[in-house]
Amino acid sequence: MKKLLTLSLILFLSACANTMSAKITMNWPDTTPDLKTACPDLGQVDTSTTKLSDALNTITSNYSQYYLCKDKVDNWLDWYNTQQKIFNSVK
Amino acid sequence: MFSWLLQEVLGNLPSWLWPATAGAGAAVYFLAHLLANFPNFKPYAFFIKPVSFAVIIFSVFMYGGAGVTEILQAQLKEQEAKIAVAQQASSDANKAVQTKIITHTKVIHDTQVVYQEKIKEVEKKIDADCKLDPKAITILNGASKNPLGAAK
Repeated sequence: MKKLLTLSLILFLSACANTMSAKITMNWPDTTPDLKTACPDLGQVDTSTTKLSDALNTITSNYSQYYLCKDKVDNWLDWYNTQQKIFNSVK
Repeated sequence: MFSWLLQEVLGNLPSWLWPATAGAGAAVYFLAHLLANFPNFKPYAFFIKPVSFAVIIFSVFMYGGAGVTEILQAQLKEQEAKIAVAQQASSDANKAVQTKIITHTKVIHDTQVVYQEKIKEVEKKIDADCKLDPKAITILNGASKNPLGAAK
């Protein structure tokens, strides 16, 4: 009886095979360099001018600046949501 | 040094070796029992029994360890394969965003050029018809300044 007990205890030594798990994790990816630059400030009209065309040039340039910046934010959201889906799929 | 020994020597041994040595240890243990019946061999049996018993224990322990290693390595390979697929998907997504940025930036710049050309076409006329009051420019510049600029 004692020997049987000893033998069963020995067999328990190998039981740890079912209780461990290996895990390596994925690093959060780096984004594209274009998304890392901050949006510039809006342009200012030369205060010495009286020409409407100068003001119009600055205003249209600022509109473009706004759309570039909006596109950057939209792309950030798109990039983040896509990368998060990919990252969560690995877990 | 000790970890290297474990990794290089014990890690490369085939897993079937451990049940084989455990079986051999058990066989020797029972043979020692038989030898103990012969008076001439009894002293040898006295030493062989604990040694073979220790070999059984060690082999079963190592067999368990080899099983754990195999399971962990299989899990690692599976995880590595998943990560490789995810990294490729991530890289593809980055390239797609990069391409989109380049395309959108070009469209926005081209549109700006079109409007600047339109301004040039009517520049003389609108400048002749309308003179801006400096107060209007001050208001425009004031509105275009970032209100959070000072708070940054």
